[in-house]
Amino acid sequence: MSLADVLDSHRVVVTVGSGGVGKTTTAAAMAVHAAMEGRKVLCLTIDPARRLANSLGLDEMTTSEQDVPRALFQRYGLECKGALSAMMLDTKRTFDGLVEKYASDEEARNRILNNQIYQYVASSLAGTQEYMAMEKLHEVRKDEQWDLVVLDTPPTSHAIDFLTAPERLIDAIDSPAMRWFLQVFEGAGKAGFGLVGRSATVLLKGIGKITGLEFLEKVAEFVSGINEMFGGFKDRAEQVSDALRSPEVAFVLVTSPAPLAIGEARYFSDKLQDAGMNREAVVVNQVHSLIEEPRLSAAEQVTALREVLPEAIDAADLQPRLEQALRDERRWAIADRTEVERLSSQIGQDTRIVEVPAFDEDVHDIAALAKVAFYLTSTVQA
Amino acid sequence: MDLLDRRFLFVVGKGGVGKTTVATALAVEASRREKKVLLAMVNCKERVSQLLGTDPIGSKIVNLRENLDAVNMTPDAALEEYGLMILKVRAVYNAVFGSRLVRAFLKGTPGLEAWSMLGKAFYHASPPRGEPDYDLVILDAPATGHALDMLRVPFVIESVAPPGILRRDAARAVELFRDPVQAGAVVVTLPEYMPVSETLELTKALTEELKIPVLQLVINRVLTVLFVEKERSVLESLPAELPENTDIRGLAVAGKRRVLRETVQHRAIRRVRGHIEAPCSELPYLNGLETDPDAINMLSKALQNRE
Repeated sequence: MSLADVLDSHRVVVTVGSGGVGKTTTAAAMAVHAAMEGRKVLCLTIDPARRLANSLGLDEMTTSEQDVPRALFQRYGLECKGALSAMMLDTKRTFDGLVEKYASDEEARNRILNNQIYQYVASSLAGTQEYMAMEKLHEVRKDEQWDLVVLDTPPTSHAIDFLTAPERLIDAIDSPAMRWFLQVFEGAGKAGFGLVGRSATVLLKGIGKITGLEFLEKVAEFVSGINEMFGGFKDRAEQVSDALRSPEVAFVLVTSPAPLAIGEARYFSDKLQDAGMNREAVVVNQVHSLIEEPRLSAAEQVTALREVLPEAIDAADLQPRLEQALRDERRWAIADRTEVERLSSQIGQDTRIVEVPAFDEDVHDIAALAKVAFYLTSTVQA
Repeated sequence: MDLLDRRFLFVVGKGGVGKTTVATALAVEASRREKKVLLAMVNCKERVSQLLGTDPIGSKIVNLRENLDAVNMTPDAALEEYGLMILKVRAVYNAVFGSRLVRAFLKGTPGLEAWSMLGKAFYHASPPRGEPDYDLVILDAPATGHALDMLRVPFVIESVAPPGILRRDAARAVELFRDPVQAGAVVVTLPEYMPVSETLELTKALTEELKIPVLQLVINRVLTVLFVEKERSVLESLPAELPENTDIRGLAVAGKRRVLRETVQHRAIRRVRGHIEAPCSELPYLNGLETDPDAINMLSKALQNRE
């Protein structure tokens, strides 16, 4: 299946990969391609760096949808038969939405929303972002408005974090430790430490020594608040977890040919497969291609160059530097080829590997994205 | 004032830009100046041992060479150390932390894992009393988003937590991190458009939101500029102007590619330097020679050239 078919036959395509491998660009290029082909596409990023905006001609990404104007495509001689919108995930608002949905009453809801620990968890805690991205994926999957949603994810250093985000959040809240803590703390709060077990008191005081008892109170309020809506929350996490494995959802791994990135891609790839998620393709970005070598001696090259260069430029002076440029390109091309082949021998049997050549210029406008899309969806490999 | 005369440096940047390489090169240079240095990594697949040709670095501090120690912090180990430092007596510590429930509780408390690691690194640079273990602690931070999540923790604790040891330590850390004479960030980027965009966002978050000073900008993997202005326009159009059967097409294509790369690089460097006022070092492209034993020494030298 080519990447064009993957885009065509799924409702949600998720890009995953480590930082600095062109993940956002790949997501944007796939969205641009599908929109040009006539689908209504939402490109959703949770990257706080808002890099996508640069490529899509938007001033900045916002947490509400923005349409990428058709005129922007036309300006570059491209035709958009469908529609393209872009949006940035608002982690805190998504979380607030969950609380609003599952809190038993208004008082309970406000107690959680106003709790300082909650506010921190919802906006800044590492892992929350990943979970909310998955939550959003679940939500948009059902949204009839879109034919296709392309979800760009935050760079993940640990694949597991990403895939297990829903379960982990639930575990953190529902752990035996949290339940024990709540029991002991609420007991202590009502009746003083005297009535709870002596050993529990020692433990609580021990923790309190580090965190301060008032801090514990706030944690207790947070945990009990979240616990109240736990049933709904847990069901939701299970739904999200199932959604990740739905046949409508495709994962596209993105990497660069750098040895480190390739190693990580392979690791990611195994994890995705173990987790039962649909790993549909691996995109290798920025692959340097080999250039035809001149079959001439240095002196002959100078002569040949002299014929085509203007007089103001000294061919003999230029030739060694051109040779160095060629040498560098060759070295990059060979190194990249070696890495791509290594990846291919490791996971190529069951996953399509798509190469995108390194471009001479940065990809930062819609024409360049369309060019990336061309390589992504081409059935013949460069 | 020299960068390496500070007590605490954060090396930050987007994933894959060479933070670890820069952190290692700085640590090597500082140790050479007879400062006692701790290079602290945050629960990562560490590559420092590969760069310096030493045994792998785990969650216990190890000595790498004279004056240079390193550690790859893990939340569990860091929390244990932090707990011990506060509870002081091993028996008391065991009574509290020995409980599986307490450990799980602490693990589940938001932000505490990140703080235990950041706090450990901070304690080594600035203990509550007595002399610090190290003259300089260099933190090889996680990639952009995760680094900000981590750095925000003490600021959140300072504003959220009620008075207590946690709050006191967080407040001390905030004070240190914001003092440009004692601490600050070394921002690493690449000379390309998108990485520069992200660097500018990161710098904004550091300086405006967290008020952590940016002390140095490092532009990594800068290509040697091969061509001068008048050659550029000629080379850019050369492949298109060549006759069908020519033996120098490859040469011309390589020339054009390089010229375009150099142009992109030039614009990116101008843009990032135009926005970030800190002194800047440019490091050369190493062509995969990063693991060469001499590479780190060479980069250490290159980092000394600041404009």
